[in-house]
Amino acid sequence: MSSLIAENVTYSYSSNIKPALSKVSLDLEQGTLTALVGPNGAGKSTLLSLLQGSSTPDQGEITVDGKPLRNNRSQVALMPQRGKLNWNFPITVEGLVSLGRVNHSRSTCCELEAALQRVGISHLAKRRLDTLSGGQQQRALLAKTLMNPAKIFLLDEPCSAFDPPAKEDFLLIIRQLADSGFTVFVSSHDWGTSLNAYDKVVALDKIVLASGSPREVQEKLSSINYLRWKL
Amino acid sequence: MSFFNTNWWIIPLLITSFSGILCPAMGTVLITHKRLLQVNLISHCVLPGLALAMALGLDPSIGGVISGLVGAIAAESLTNKKNQNYEAVMNTILAGSMGLGVLLIPLLGIRIDLEAVLFGDLLTANLSDLLRTLIAFSVFICLMLFGYDKLVHIGLDPEGAASSGVNVSFLNLALGFTTALVIVSSMSAVGVILVIALLSTPTLLGLQKARSLWIAMVRSSIFGLILSLIGFSLAMFLNLPPGPLISVLCVISLILLPNNR
Repeated sequence: MSSLIAENVTYSYSSNIKPALSKVSLDLEQGTLTALVGPNGAGKSTLLSLLQGSSTPDQGEITVDGKPLRNNRSQVALMPQRGKLNWNFPITVEGLVSLGRVNHSRSTCCELEAALQRVGISHLAKRRLDTLSGGQQQRALLAKTLMNPAKIFLLDEPCSAFDPPAKEDFLLIIRQLADSGFTVFVSSHDWGTSLNAYDKVVALDKIVLASGSPREVQEKLSSINYLRWKL
Repeated sequence: MSFFNTNWWIIPLLITSFSGILCPAMGTVLITHKRLLQVNLISHCVLPGLALAMALGLDPSIGGVISGLVGAIAAESLTNKKNQNYEAVMNTILAGSMGLGVLLIPLLGIRIDLEAVLFGDLLTANLSDLLRTLIAFSVFICLMLFGYDKLVHIGLDPEGAASSGVNVSFLNLALGFTTALVIVSSMSAVGVILVIALLSTPTLLGLQKARSLWIAMVRSSIFGLILSLIGFSLAMFLNLPPGPLISVLCVISLILLPNNR
């Protein structure tokens, strides 16, 4: 299993605008479930894309198990935001999930079934994607991500389509994932009590505002009146 | 050759059948990838290349494919930039390319039957037209054999495909090249403009409740083949040009579309 470390990562979309991220450092330990919280435009998706290796930081370094990320990208898998997918594409749930192995070794039926069971949608395997509810689609997308033979999973706002009970279920699924030794990093808009389900929280607003246990982060943000100012 | 001379209808019929299968299959990939506007651009970019190739004494289809490919690259670059008004820019290039093609005809002092290029002249099609169609057909089959899974991934989740190591730019370019080939090869059957109808209408029918891109492609091709063969037969019977007739049939067939998915 793997850990991922970012040190002083700075990134700008253009040289003449303010950086989207400035001197961001974090340490995702093996087998932990970490939340990344921040308001819209805080740079959460940008950070995840840098940690996955789709973009390269202007400054700073990202390492996986002490090796540069560019040599170890296969260890990291990213689940994109649901808005980035073409949900009307003609494909079944099992078709979508098996795509998690495109460009890797072929998946077996058992692996496919295991991924579907893990997220609780094996009964929907033959259904067309656009006939599912938003929450079911999100689970299918997670199953696709889990098919990737990676050790570190970055999930970009995976709970956006869930009602509160479904969100609880989803948190249980990703908790089990972390407990089985995978490193899971989840971006979220949720500043509420559900943060207690995580081992660690990183609060981001272009810089790291606070990092630590959920309680420590809540206290730090309260002390600087950040939440009151933002909400 | 004498066989084809006596049975003059065989080549047009074969071209109609292959185009009827190929265009909807290609169209299915393009529509599911939301690239139909790019197809429009490519189809309009073909004309300047045709004119230039004729002026240089080359096979017009070579020029058509090259200028179509230039259009594909321009479309790709505009789509990647995704600036606010990229659709308007694309339409401007589309109109400009068509205008340039029409201007080049008198400027280069060449003779092109513009009506045949735009709307097809199937009944005068010859063996080289059939060969072009077969080449486009083979290239499309190769693209599907070697890139099907990756194209599905790109159509569904382009960022996910890129992040898992799929060469998205290369495959999009290959898709653009194959589209240019298909458009040029279908010129003799339905013409550059009316090929859009054959790329889109059967696809709308084929995509209904399809559980995979593969199934949608096969269904679209069956619908396309039926429409093309009916259009060809009616054209023979009524002594009308087949290209426009096939396109009108495409529009009429839209009544087969159910209201719900």
